Amino acid sequence: MNKPLIKLEQINTWFPDNKPVFGKPTSWIKAVNDVSLNIIEGECLGLVGESGCGKSTMGRTILRLAPLYSGKIKFMGDDISKSDDKGLKPYRAKMQMVFQDPKASLNPKMTIFKILSEATALNLRVAKENYLEQAVKLLDLVDLRPEHIYRYPHEFSGGQQQRICVARALATDPKFIVFDEATSALDVSVQAQVINLMKDLQNKLDLTYLFISHDLSIMEHVCSRVAVMYAGQIIEVQDSGSLFDTPRHPYTKALKNAVPIADPESGKELGILKGEVPKLSDPPSGCHFHPRCDYKENICVEKSPKVRKTGKNSQVKCHFHEELWKRGVLRYT
Amino acid sequence: MRKIIVNNSLSNKKAKQKSASLPVLQIKELNVSFNTSRGQAKILEGVSFDLYPKEILALVGETGSGKSVTAKSILDLIPGHSRETRGQVLFDTKDLLSMSDKELQTVRGYRISMVFQNPQSSINPVFTLGEQIFRLIRLYLSRDIEALKQKTGCGQKQALKTIAKEKLREAGLTDIKRMLKSYAGEISGGMAQRYRIALALLSSPEILIADEATSALDVTVQAHILKLMKNLCENKRTAILFITHDLGIAAQICDRIAVMYAGRIVEIAETKKIFSNPKHPYTKGLLKAVPKLGADEPLSFVPGIIPDLVNPPRGCRFQPRCDHALDICLNQKPESLLIEDRHKVSCFLYRQ
Amino acid sequence: MAIQENSYQMMAKKVVKEHQKQKWFQLQLLLKRKAACLSLIILVLTVLAAVFAPWVAPYPEQGQGVLNIENRLQPPSSASLLGTDIYGRDMLSRVIYGARISLFGSACIVFFAALIGVPLGLWAGYNEGISGAVISRVVELFLSFPSTLSAIAISIIVGVGWPTAIIALIIPWWPWYTRLVQGEALSIKRMLYIEAAQMLGYGKIYIIFRHILPNVMTPVIVMILLDLGPAIIAIGLLSFLGLGTQPPMADWGLMVWEGAPNILSEWWISIVPGGAMFMVVIAFNIFGDALKDILGSNR
Repeated sequence: MNKPLIKLEQINTWFPDNKPVFGKPTSWIKAVNDVSLNIIEGECLGLVGESGCGKSTMGRTILRLAPLYSGKIKFMGDDISKSDDKGLKPYRAKMQMVFQDPKASLNPKMTIFKILSEATALNLRVAKENYLEQAVKLLDLVDLRPEHIYRYPHEFSGGQQQRICVARALATDPKFIVFDEATSALDVSVQAQVINLMKDLQNKLDLTYLFISHDLSIMEHVCSRVAVMYAGQIIEVQDSGSLFDTPRHPYTKALKNAVPIADPESGKELGILKGEVPKLSDPPSGCHFHPRCDYKENICVEKSPKVRKTGKNSQVKCHFHEELWKRGVLRYT
Repeated sequence: MRKIIVNNSLSNKKAKQKSASLPVLQIKELNVSFNTSRGQAKILEGVSFDLYPKEILALVGETGSGKSVTAKSILDLIPGHSRETRGQVLFDTKDLLSMSDKELQTVRGYRISMVFQNPQSSINPVFTLGEQIFRLIRLYLSRDIEALKQKTGCGQKQALKTIAKEKLREAGLTDIKRMLKSYAGEISGGMAQRYRIALALLSSPEILIADEATSALDVTVQAHILKLMKNLCENKRTAILFITHDLGIAAQICDRIAVMYAGRIVEIAETKKIFSNPKHPYTKGLLKAVPKLGADEPLSFVPGIIPDLVNPPRGCRFQPRCDHALDICLNQKPESLLIEDRHKVSCFLYRQ
Repeated sequence: MAIQENSYQMMAKKVVKEHQKQKWFQLQLLLKRKAACLSLIILVLTVLAAVFAPWVAPYPEQGQGVLNIENRLQPPSSASLLGTDIYGRDMLSRVIYGARISLFGSACIVFFAALIGVPLGLWAGYNEGISGAVISRVVELFLSFPSTLSAIAISIIVGVGWPTAIIALIIPWWPWYTRLVQGEALSIKRMLYIEAAQMLGYGKIYIIFRHILPNVMTPVIVMILLDLGPAIIAIGLLSFLGLGTQPPMADWGLMVWEGAPNILSEWWISIVPGGAMFMVVIAFNIFGDALKDILGSNR
C-alpha cells in the first residue's frame, strides 16, 4: 500500500523562451525546475500553487504530454522518461487526465458513446462488441443516466460534462488520474458533487490521484497529502491535515492567509503578500521566494535551499525551516 | 417610492439627518428577458434591492443566476435588440432605465463606475496606460488641473502627470513612471486590475459595481485588490455592489449579502445573519457546499441542476431542487417576506 | 455480479432503440422548416430537369444549339415561354441544357478544390513544422495572383475546352480551402479534447481525421455552398473568352455574358439564366444553413 506508484527524480520541463533560427535557444521558461517527488499508491496528492507556477505543466510532464528536458519519471518501477509515443502506449491506459474545462475537453461533434468507446479501445479486456455495454456501465458509475448515451456534450450541464470526462478517464481502467483544476470551473453546489464522486471512485477502484488546484480550501477535503509549488519548484509537502495548521515554509503560510474565509465571525483579516509572482523565464536568484519573504537573509539571495525531509512523507525547501519552526512564527495556535 | 417622496417633503435639515439611511440606488421589480431561438428566456424576474451609501453589498449566485445581468442592466450595458427590460433603477430619484443614451453618459463611468472580471481585456490595448488615464483626468478632474497649474505654475502635461501619479499611488501601484508608458499587455493581471480600479474611482463615483473583479486573479493578488477596494471606497464614500460567486469574499469584505438563484433574489440580509442564520433552503445548501479551510466534515451539495430559463418551473424556481417544497411552491411564486430587521426571504416556509 | 452485467446489456439494447427513433426525429425537424423544404424541392427539380433534359426541354435540339434565326430576339410568349436569344433559340431549353454544364461543372470545381484543399489545410494546421510551412508558402503564392487571371493563363497553356477549363479553375481554387481549414485547425488543435485524445495514445492521422475534420466541416460546407455560385460565373467567364464551353453548347454563365450587351432592350437573355443561377445559389445557401443548424451541435 505504501510503496510509491510514481517516482519523480529531478525532473525539469523547460520551454524555449526565444527561438533562434539556428542553434539552441539561449533562454528557457523553467516551468518545472528540479522537482523530486514520490506519489504513493492509493493516495490523493494535492498540488497547489498560483497561476503560472508550473503546476499544470508538472501534471502534463508526469503523463509525458509536455516535453521533459531532463530527469527521470518512474511509473510502477519502469522508467518512462525516455520512451517515445510507441513505447508509451502500454502506459497510456494506466494514466489518465481530467481537465479544467469540461466543455472544451469533449469533442462537440462526437456523441457520448463515441467519446467513451474511443477511450475504451485502450482497455484490452473489453471486446469491441461490448463497447456499448461498457459505456452504459461507465455512465452508471458516474451517476449519469444511460439513456443519454447518444447525446452530444453541449446537451449537458457543466457538472454532468465533467462527470463524462471522469467516465472517459475511467474507461481505460487506469491506476493513476491527474485532475487538472477539474472542479475550478464548476459552481460550488456542483463542485461538491463531483468531489464526492471522485472520492467514491477512488475507494471503489483503488485509484491514485494527483489533484492540481489553485484553491486551497478544497485541498483539505480532497487530498491526503499536499505539495505546494512556487515558481516551478515544490517548496513544501505535508499531510493535508497538518499543512495549513503547521506550515513549515513562509509561502505556505502567506498563501493560506490570503484565502477569504466564508465565516464573518472568524475576524480574520486578509494577509497581504508583497511583491509580484516571479517570471518563470527569469526567476530570482537563490531561493525563488526571497524577494517576497519576511524572513530572508543573505544566504537566501545567494544559494538555492536543498530539499529537506521533515517526516516520512513530508519535505520542505527552505534554508531556515528549522529555525522558523523553533521560533514558531509560522504555526497557528 | 413612497419613502422618497415623504423624505423629500421634509425640511432640509431633517432630510440631511436622514440621508444616511436613504438608499443611493434602488432597484425595483427588474425583469430582463432575452429572445432565443427556443423562446423567451426570463433571465431576471422581479429583482428588487436597495444599495445604501458607503455599504458593500454582495450579489452572490452561481452560473446562470443572473447576477451579472443585474449589474449590467443597471447601466444599460447589455447589447442586443432581442432583449426586454422592465422595472425601475432609481438613482438620485431618476430612473436610469428610461434615460436617453446621452443622459446615461453623464452617469455611466462618472457617478456609477464599473470594474470587470478580466482587467487586461477591459483596457484598450492600442493606447498607453498614460494616455488613457490622462484623458479621463481631463474629462473628470479639470478643476484639479487648473488648481494645480495655478499653485505650482507648471504646464498642462506636468499637471496631468502629477495627478495621475497620485491617483495610481493611491491604488497601491509602484514604478508609475514606467507604467504610464506601457500598454495593457505589458503589465500583470494584478497590476491591470489596480489600474482599472484607479480609473474607476477617479471621479469619486457614488457607486462602484465590481463584476467578479477578482475571480481571474490569484488568491494573494486577490487579497490585495479586496483590501484596496475596501479602503479606497471607505475614503471616497463610495458604495460597492460586489458581484461574486465566492461566498468567502462576500463574508470577508461585504456588509450585506443578496443571494440570487435563477434570476431571483432568494434572500437578502446582513452578512453575519446570512452565515449564522440562513433561512432560504438554497442559501442553506449553498453554505454547506462551500469548502472551508480547517473544516473536516464532508462536503454536501444541492441536488439537481439549475432550471432552464426558457421554461422555468411554475411557482418557486428553486422548488424542483428543494427538500422542503410545499404544495403551494408548485404553483405560486413566493413573495419577498421581511422576517426580521433588514432580512428578507422569498420562501413560503416563512409566511405567517 | 452476473445479474448486474445482464442488466447493463438490457439497458444497452433499450438505448439503441431510443436512438433510432431520435434519428427519425432529426429528419422530421429538417422537413418542418418551410424554407429548407422549398430549397430542397428547387434543387431536386433543377437537378432532375438537367438529367432528363431531352424529355423536359420544349425544343431539345435548340437547347443543344441548333439555330432558329427567323425567331431571333423574341420576348417571352406562349411559343417560347422565356423568349429566344440572338440566334432564335428557345431560352427555356437553353437554360435546361445549360444547367447540365453549369451545375456539374461548378460541383466538380468546388468538390475537387475541397478535396485537395481540406486535407492539405488539416495537415498544415496540425503540423507547425516544415511541411506545414511549405504548404502555407505554396498557398500564399497561389493567393497572391488573381484567381481568374491564373485560370485564364492555365487554360491557355493546357488547352481550350470544357474539361480543361474545369481543371484550370480548380488549380487556383483549392488554396482558399487550405487557408480556411488551416486557420480552423490551428484553433481546434489547442482544444483540450485534442490533448485528451493524445492522452489516449492516438496518432496524428487519427486525431486529424476523427477529431479535427468533423469540427472544420461546418465552415467548409458553408464555403462550398457559397462557392457554387461564383464557380458557375467563373466557368461562364472562361467560356465567354472562348476558353471553356464551346458553342453551340452554352452554360448559364456564358448565356449571361452573351446577353449583357443587350440587357436594356432584350433583358430576358441575361435575366433568365441569371435568375436560374440566383435561385439555385440561394437554395443551396438556405438548405445548407438549415442542415448546419439541425445536424451541427451548437458550440
